[in-house]
Amino acid sequence: MDFLRPVTWEQALAYKAERPEATPIQGGTDVMVEINLDKGRPAALLDLNPVAELTRWSTEGTEIRVGAGVTYTRLIAELGPLLPGLAQASRTVGSPQIRNRGTVAGNLGAASPAGDAHPPLLASGAIVEAESVRGTRMIPITEFYTGVKRNALRPDELIRAVRIPAAAGPQYFSKIGTRNAMVIAVCSFAVALHPGERRVGTGIGSAAPTPRRAPEAEEFVAAALDWEGRSPLDPGAARRFGELVAGAAAPIDDVRGRADYRLHSLAVMARRTLGWAWNDYTGRGPA
Amino acid sequence: MRVNISVNGESMAADDVWEGESLLYVLRERLGLPGAKNACEQGECGSCTVYLDGTPVCACLVAAGQAEGREVITVEGLASGGELDEVQRSFVEAGAVQCGFCTPGLIVQAHSLIESTPGVPADAEIREALAGNLCRCTGYEKILDAVRLAAVRKHQP
Amino acid sequence: MTTVAAPSAGTALDRVDGPEKVTGRARYAYENVPADLAYAVVVQATVSRGEVRAVDADSVLQLPGMIATIWHENAPRLAPVEDAELTVLQSPRVAYRGQVVAVVVAETLESATEAARLLRVDYRPEPHDVELRPDHPGMYRPDHVNPNYATDSELGDPDTALAFASVVVDATYTTPAQHHNPIEPHATVALWDADGLTLYDATQSTSGVRATIAPLFALPPESVRVISPYVGGGFGGKGAPHAQVVLAALAAKQVGRPVKLAATRRQMFAVTGYRTPTVQRVRLGADEDGKLSAIVHEAFEQTATIKEFAEQTTVVTRMMYAAPHRRTSHRLVRLDVPVPTWMRAPGETPGMFALESAMDELAVACGIDPVELRVRNEPTIDPERGLPFSSRNLVACLRGGAERFGWAGRDPEPGVRRRGRQLIGTGVASSTYPVYRMPSQASARAEPGGGFTVRIAAADIGTGARTVLTQIAADALRVPPAQVRMEVGDSALPRASVAGGSSGTASWGTAVLRACEGLMDALHRRAGDVPPGGLEASADTAEELRSQRPLSRHAYGAQFAEVGVDLDTGEVRVLRLLGAFAAGRIINPKTARSQLIGGMTMGLSMALLEESVMDLEFGDYLNRDLAQYHVAACADVRDVDAFWIEEEDPDLNPMGSKGIGEIGIVGTAAAIANAVYHATGIRVRDLPIRLDRLIGGGI
Repeated sequence: MDFLRPVTWEQALAYKAERPEATPIQGGTDVMVEINLDKGRPAALLDLNPVAELTRWSTEGTEIRVGAGVTYTRLIAELGPLLPGLAQASRTVGSPQIRNRGTVAGNLGAASPAGDAHPPLLASGAIVEAESVRGTRMIPITEFYTGVKRNALRPDELIRAVRIPAAAGPQYFSKIGTRNAMVIAVCSFAVALHPGERRVGTGIGSAAPTPRRAPEAEEFVAAALDWEGRSPLDPGAARRFGELVAGAAAPIDDVRGRADYRLHSLAVMARRTLGWAWNDYTGRGPA
Repeated sequence: MRVNISVNGESMAADDVWEGESLLYVLRERLGLPGAKNACEQGECGSCTVYLDGTPVCACLVAAGQAEGREVITVEGLASGGELDEVQRSFVEAGAVQCGFCTPGLIVQAHSLIESTPGVPADAEIREALAGNLCRCTGYEKILDAVRLAAVRKHQP
Repeated sequence: MTTVAAPSAGTALDRVDGPEKVTGRARYAYENVPADLAYAVVVQATVSRGEVRAVDADSVLQLPGMIATIWHENAPRLAPVEDAELTVLQSPRVAYRGQVVAVVVAETLESATEAARLLRVDYRPEPHDVELRPDHPGMYRPDHVNPNYATDSELGDPDTALAFASVVVDATYTTPAQHHNPIEPHATVALWDADGLTLYDATQSTSGVRATIAPLFALPPESVRVISPYVGGGFGGKGAPHAQVVLAALAAKQVGRPVKLAATRRQMFAVTGYRTPTVQRVRLGADEDGKLSAIVHEAFEQTATIKEFAEQTTVVTRMMYAAPHRRTSHRLVRLDVPVPTWMRAPGETPGMFALESAMDELAVACGIDPVELRVRNEPTIDPERGLPFSSRNLVACLRGGAERFGWAGRDPEPGVRRRGRQLIGTGVASSTYPVYRMPSQASARAEPGGGFTVRIAAADIGTGARTVLTQIAADALRVPPAQVRMEVGDSALPRASVAGGSSGTASWGTAVLRACEGLMDALHRRAGDVPPGGLEASADTAEELRSQRPLSRHAYGAQFAEVGVDLDTGEVRVLRLLGAFAAGRIINPKTARSQLIGGMTMGLSMALLEESVMDLEFGDYLNRDLAQYHVAACADVRDVDAFWIEEEDPDLNPMGSKGIGEIGIVGTAAAIANAVYHATGIRVRDLPIRLDRLIGGGI
């Protein structure tokens, strides 16, 4: 095994072009588990820690560009008001020690259906900034996840940043687990209101081979909500929203939960998070 | 490969490090510092918690090469001149130690919480901070007592 | 020698090995580094039943740093012993998936791990059978159950009594396989030299490992030394040696170098034991006032094909409540599964989940308060053994616990208390654990320079044994604890019993006390003069234990739980857990409270989280790491407390103590399940109380 230590982004891309089989490592919270549990040995590790620029985030217009090295801990501390849904999800990632090392880009690289960052990225409509020596690709998040633990990155590409529209309305994330902390989601859900466009974004985690949106639910509820008059959420509409969200999922039975439980709890989370978000939007405060 | 790390204030070098090796392995098997424990190898139990450049991390999830040129503090580095750190002393006095295998990781994580929190952290804060440190013996109650005791001693002497 | 110290027993002495543990100086088994050390990694069977046809040992030997590949064709021969879990690499048979079929030894762990992964093993697989079901045709009646109880018991005519009872509860409960998961994985460093074999091992019994391992290598016991000063938790899993101890010794012998071998967390799910899953049918017959006329408790359990372990699941039912008509039984089936073993309160833990759940169902059926129901069925003598109790304060625990918990005025109606979106409920369960005492030896020595050294091959696996024995010795020697140096955890010390059965303080304490008394007598005869070479006395308690009069000796307790259940998602949170215990004299309230709360927390974990899921297709446990096998984390435990009532029992041992290491877990899961019923109206009879069982159950 080789250990590659680029210090600039250009070097990192050059290494990846030369050694497309190299596994990038940032926080190590996925890559090292694979190695420690001997699930396979990468031909090379490409350590991105020394590439200082990756640890920065910036505002570009209405977008927040989060470098691939920004840890969950920093995201929670620094980006909570701008990216509330993602910050909430970040708070539920692993433990403090894991959040001190783990990154959203790492979550994307691993592309586990249970990754906590995925639902809010889907609900917000994030874009993955992938780069290789051949150039930059802006990959819409909906096109990023291609299968269980598979993503749209090409072998010579690295994730440089994730571009996420700054929240233009309330956002919520909810996750169900058996334990109070340190839990891989039994399933999870994120909602984001986009009042300017009178649109609702959704993201479903752990309930299909890949994280996914619930387009029908989004369309239904966008039309059902009283954006102008800000009247209270109709319980029937909330329920229907929950059903449509559950309908978009394709869960399986596994050790963490049965498929029918996942569908049930997704509907519950969808209803709840929508209620919280709508209450914020209409100024009614917490439900 | 060779890896150079500052550990507990001392420059150390490990040779013949395998590229897939963890910082934890280097500390325990190559540098003679078995304080941080190897118990799950997947960041679930927190027994291997050490400071990396001042931030508590699971040493089992840091590739050894990633620690090159950085500063690591392990549980062995917290006591100075034979004097236990307040957190260590509080763990002993509060009865927060049983088998002792989770203890080093808990001590480092609790140390970090107390250093970064003014005053005495609330129970919910402590539980959240220690969420990634599993203990199979104590039921955690005495560990909370120890953290509160240490915080009082550090911040309200 | 004239110092008179205030008694240490009963005071909250800080753990004497605390400073070593908080500084990282305490050396655990894997941290021993003899010169010229090699690393061993095991290769596990990938079939659940069959034979190893061939192992391609040669090709991995080409890898850099490889020293040896050991498998059944080239392994050193072991002397035949009965325990087939330990006769490793002696035959091509594979008895369960995950069984060790080879060991590779290399200069580094990395090389050994790589070789273990690449090693090609060719199998002749056979169809496997890994599913425990009560109607399995292979169910048989074992000769006895652990450790040596009668398999079945019957008094009166329970069938007729049930037929005529006004109220009958007839329910089946299941508990899953559970793995101990001590934080320290099992590990051994083995070293051969002219004197024989030295093992640095993570064990609950250095004397036991020596006695078990020596015959395998045809050695006299004195040629084996087992050193284990610090052990990172055991919970029964380290009570008896498992394959890794033998493998380390065997590999070290084969390569002629010291060898280090640890089971990884994932390997532990196959090779270091677990609690058997159980299926239990409980039938209770009672009159309208809840007075029991019949108790029938039948357990169905699994064991391995290569070794029988019969968990004593229903034995506790023989002494718990009064009833004229009663029957208990155990049936086992040998499956192609790993070998089950002791896990914290084997028998009582799964058995009391079933019995105490059934008692709650009976309380509901009779419309009687569950505390009151238990009090009404309190026996005056041990109902099946016919012996008086040495002391029995279950009622005091129930009443005292109820008072502290705020039980009075509890509305029995299930499913009616809400706090926001949570349903709230409370539950209670009794607990008990037998008082065991086993023969042990100890020595006490007055050092010429002052101070005392007390030696016993006891194990402190986190219980606080080293501290409590220091206190017992200090009091016997009439000095402050600081003047006593306690040496434990080495088979070269006077032989001691296993740290198991909550018997440590009683067994080792008696030996330590007698040795110290002997030393005090000797000193007295010399008018307190310590000769230049020191003065030593030793004790062996075998005789003293034989003369113990027959009584029914048990510790008792009652656990109270309050839970909140999310109405929509079924998420259960234990809001409060309180344990009341009567466990004789508490020698150190600080270490005792931690043991009791720790046991209760493991019970909480058992109630809500712990479950090793058998993969019926592949024949092994699916969720074999800490990301998938969940144990309670700090955030799951909100408010757990324990207290005890003062109990004087002169018929136990010179300390007047009962064991406290296991009783905390007994009853806790039932208390929580009963609280979940009170909260939701859903009776969960299958542990753990999974979210999908509640939602599926129709909250």
